[in-house]
Order: sequence, then structure tokens, then C-alpha cells
Amino acid sequence: MLELLQEGFSAVFSFQILILITLGVAVGIVFGAVPGLTAVMAIALSLPLTYTMGPAAGLSLLVSLYIGATSGGLISAILLKIPGTPSSIATTFDGAPMMEKGEGVKALGAGIVFSFIGTIISIAALMFIAPWLAKVALRFGPHEYFGIAIFSLTLIATLSTGSMIKGLFSGVMGFVFATVGIAPVDAIRRFTFDTPNLNSGFEVLTVLVGIFAISEIIKVAESVRAERKAAVASVSMKQIKGFGFSMKEFIGQLPNSIRSSLIGIGIGILPGVGAGTSNIVSYIVAKKRSKYPEKFGKGVIDGVVASETANNAGIGGAMIPLLTLGIPGDAVTAILLGGFMIHGIQPGPMLFMSQGPLVYTIFAALLLASVMMLVLEFYGLRIFIKLLAVPKHILLPIILVLCVVGAFGLSSRIFDIWTILLFGLIGYGFVKGGIPAAPFIIGFILGPMAETNLRRGLMLSDGNFTGFLTNPICATFLVLAALSIVWHVYGTLRSSKKAGTADLLRS
Amino acid sequence: MESHKKKELVIGVVMLGAGLVYLFMTMNLPRKGFVDAAFVPYVLAFMLCLLGILQLIASRTTASSEIDAESDSTPADYATVLKTLGLIVLYAALLKTVGFLLMTTLYLYLQFIVLTPASQRVKHVSYLVIAVIASTAIYFLFRHGFDLMLPAGFLDL
Repeated sequence: MLELLQEGFSAVFSFQILILITLGVAVGIVFGAVPGLTAVMAIALSLPLTYTMGPAAGLSLLVSLYIGATSGGLISAILLKIPGTPSSIATTFDGAPMMEKGEGVKALGAGIVFSFIGTIISIAALMFIAPWLAKVALRFGPHEYFGIAIFSLTLIATLSTGSMIKGLFSGVMGFVFATVGIAPVDAIRRFTFDTPNLNSGFEVLTVLVGIFAISEIIKVAESVRAERKAAVASVSMKQIKGFGFSMKEFIGQLPNSIRSSLIGIGIGILPGVGAGTSNIVSYIVAKKRSKYPEKFGKGVIDGVVASETANNAGIGGAMIPLLTLGIPGDAVTAILLGGFMIHGIQPGPMLFMSQGPLVYTIFAALLLASVMMLVLEFYGLRIFIKLLAVPKHILLPIILVLCVVGAFGLSSRIFDIWTILLFGLIGYGFVKGGIPAAPFIIGFILGPMAETNLRRGLMLSDGNFTGFLTNPICATFLVLAALSIVWHVYGTLRSSKKAGTADLLRS
Repeated sequence: MESHKKKELVIGVVMLGAGLVYLFMTMNLPRKGFVDAAFVPYVLAFMLCLLGILQLIASRTTASSEIDAESDSTPADYATVLKTLGLIVLYAALLKTVGFLLMTTLYLYLQFIVLTPASQRVKHVSYLVIAVIASTAIYFLFRHGFDLMLPAGFLDL
């Protein structure tokens, strides 16, 4: 493994890739920091830049954006008291009070350093677990993949926020849109309305850009005219030694950060829940375990550390199912998957066999991007704070144009621009109806995987459905899927009596 | 909470409607056996309809237990949303004939004006300058830097 990693590093230490990683991390931080801009947008907008690059360069850029954007949320969480991304919600709980007490730099420094530590621990977990899991997954056939796809779909639909009916609806709708085009196995054209443009179905990227970027722009149009300029608090960086906190504080936070990393990795591996959940869970656990829980929410460093370590630890966690099984856990990993496929790379167990060096190049890029994040985010803080002040009514139209360029660039058709608009409207409708969008994406990606493997599995067992139940791995996943629905229904019935997590957070 | 109930009911109707439309389209697919290209669409169509019906039932029973996240202070400004959508449609429709440079400049300029907060003045000159710089930079970066053939239209640069 060390040899492969060494090879990976020598690939990453080329002038071009170093520049790309630096730029990727910087742009990612901006997208993470500005509320309303997301990691998905950052990756979607930068994808057309990678079309002509080699896979190593292109993928290094994409993972750097991912790392930067996950961490960047802490800047606005502490300075604006608004989480830049859902993964920094818990950072505001203690980050904002620290800022008020005049410990802004300390909060930022701790957030950045522990983001780095969380990322590194999770990448280490990724490097140890992924090759092993890939070896196991090599033996998987259609039955197993069908089970995993159904399990992941159910999990994301039931775990996403709000009502389970809406979550499941969103997942099924995603699957429905994936049935457009030529059917697997017998190649019948379905729902194409005789337009050749639809023969190959909708592109994953146009769906993602539409649902997550265009819909966001439409949504902002609702409120932007009523907006007032947000006051960006300023921090003085003069006379700051190191990262703004003492060595003693650092050592005192180590147990907290290791626990938070494990929570982040564990939640990150599961499809459907990621950094948006793990930062809050980890915050609650840190508070419960603390010797001074009453200080939480009033500005203790522990809160910032718990939240920021956990959300960045989700990166390595989420990459595990993505690289080994080709299963994305959330929207960001879904768009990464899209980026992989543009470069002709199909994530899955075979990736570790056929493209071993590339996998380790990705690992090396992840590690280097984390170091870059640590340095850039702290020492470039002032520039990022300035960018927070760029008005939205200027920023969003430019982002829309870049989305259009990206969609058009996929295969030089205006048709793809209409597609992002269509999915933008669907995404906007989902927002209005309180329907989560993430299950839609996962349904869209995993749907064809489920259908193809269902058809193949049935062919292997001569049209007999029991093959899916007698296969132990498939049966386990199907039972788990059913259990997650039952558990959720039971939980909803109980929570109508008890007050939900909202109270838990407030207490 | 009455409006919340009504909204949930409308969502249920839309969900059921989507299911029925998809079911109808699925019935037009050619059939070759029990498990064929139409099998999964049938399963999906029935699931959509079932979820729609469940949503309709749920909208009648769950009255006020859910807190409506949408009901925050500022009311939605649908006029701006419609103007924005109109601009995007026009942009996509004319992009090929007019060309990327001109159309993007025009789109950006108009979209900046539409989205300017009511409390701020519209700065025509700086909007125009930003629109020209942004579209030119994107055009040349992609067309010449990354070989992405954005439509040239009237101006072939």
C-alpha cells in the first residue's frame, strides 16, 4: 500500500495538479462560506474545466473542491452566525457566542485545525477500509447489488428530513426519471416521446445541476429583493501566534476530536445521512460527555471542535461506498460520481483492480488538499471574509451562466440547457412542497442499478424471485431496508407523543 | 394551521397525479412477458399512486404536529421568480442564434436588475461592465482555453 501511495504522491506533485488543488480548495472554501452556495454547485461549475484534463488532474480538482467546501462553512457560521452549509449548523451554537466574547480568531482557528484533523482521520479510515471492502465486493453478483441498491434507496428516503412519505416519493420519482431512455437488458425505448435526444436518458449532471443549483437560484429570487446587507463581523489577525489557541487547549480537545471523527466517519458511510446530520449528533454527544455541559451554547471551544471535526470526517466516510461500490451517499458524492464517469472511470470494486494507481492518486490528492485547506483557510481568511460581502444579485446570475456552460459542454446540445431548467423547476417544486431533494438524486442514480441487477438476477434464476431471498447478503439488505421503514413508522408514531430533537438541541 | 393542511392536501393531489400520468404512459409500453421493460415502471407507478394516497390521508390526520418550516417572516416574492424564469427561458431559447457573448451579456445585465434588492439602487453602468467582463471571460476561457465550442452566433470571435 505504501508503494502505491508513494506513486500517488509523485503523480500529485506535478506543477499542474498542485495549482489545481490550491485553486480547488480556495474556490471550495468560498462556496462553502457563502450561504446559499454549496459544494454541489462548486463541483458542478468546475466540471466543464476538467473535460479536457486527464483523470488524475480532473479528479484532484474535484476532491479539493469537496474538501474546501465542506470546511468553508465554518467561516460564515462563526462570523455571520449563519451556517454556510447544513454541515456547519452546530458550529454556530458555540462559534457565534465565542465571536461575541471576542474569541473569534480562536473559534476560527480551532474550527480549521480540527476540520483538518477530522479530514485526515477519515482519509486514513478510507485508505484502510476501502481496499478491503473492494475485495469483498468483488464477489458480489446481481442479487447482492440489487439488495444494496434497494437498501440504500430506502435508507436515504427514510432518513432524510421531514415525512417518510415525501422522502420515499422523492426517491421513487428519481427512479422514474431514470427509466427514460433505452431500457436495460432488452433495449426497448421507454418514455422518449420519439426524441433522439432522450434515447440515452437524462444525464446525471444535468439532473444534479438542475435540482441543486438552478432551483437554488430560483429560490433565492423569492427573497433577494427584500434582503439587507449582512453585517460581516471583522476579526483582527494581528498578534496571533499559531492558530489562535494554546497547545494545552489542543491536547484537551483530542479525545473530543477522535470521538467526533468516529461519529463523522460512521454517519458518513451510511447512504442518505452525511455531514448535515453528523455535526449535530457529534455536538450532542460532546455535550453529554462533557464535564461542563452547562457551558455549551455559551461559547466553549468543545462545541466548535465537535461539529467541525465530525463534518469533515464525513468526507472519508462518504468516499468509502462511493469508491468501492459506486454508491453515492448524498448529493456531493453523487456529483463526484458524475465527475468520475465523465473521465471514463466507473467506481466499484473493479476500480481497485484495474486502476489501482489512480485510486491512490485520489487518496494522495485528498491528503494534500487537506493540508492546503489548513494553510489557505487560516492565512487567507481575510480574503474569504471579503468575498462574503459580494452581493447575491451579482453572484447568482453568473453562477447560472456557468451552469449553462457546464450543461452545454456535456455534449454541445442546447437540449441539456432545457434539461437543467426542467430539473430546476422540479427542485423548486420540491422545496415548496417540503420534499427532500437528495433521495431524488440517489433514486436517479441507484434506480437503474436496481433495475439492471433485478433483470440480470432473474435471468440467472430463470425468472424466479426467490433467488433474491435465498441469497444471504441480498436477503440481509432487503430485511434491513424493511426494518428501516418499520423503525421509522414506529418512531414517527412515538414522537407524536414526545417532543422531537428540536427540544434536545435547545436544552 | 388551516393553510398548512390545504398545502399538504395539494401536495398529495400532485403526487397522485404524477403517479397516474406515469401509469398511463407505462401502459403504452410494449409487453413481452411478466418481467420485461415495463415491469419496473409498473411497480414505480403503483408506488407513486400509493404514496400519493397515503399523503392525502396523512394531510387529513396530521393537523398541527409538524412545524411548517416555510412560514418565516418574509413572504415569497413570486413576481421576481417569474421574471427570473422568463429571463432564463429567453436566454436558453436565443443562445444558439444570437450567440453566447451577446446573449450572456444581455441576460446578466437584465438578471442583475431584476434581482437588485429593493433597498439598493440599480447601478446600470457597473452592471453592464460586470456583464461584459464576465461573459467575455467565460467565453474566451472555455472556447479557447478548454476547447468547449460555445455557440458563437452573430459575433464569431
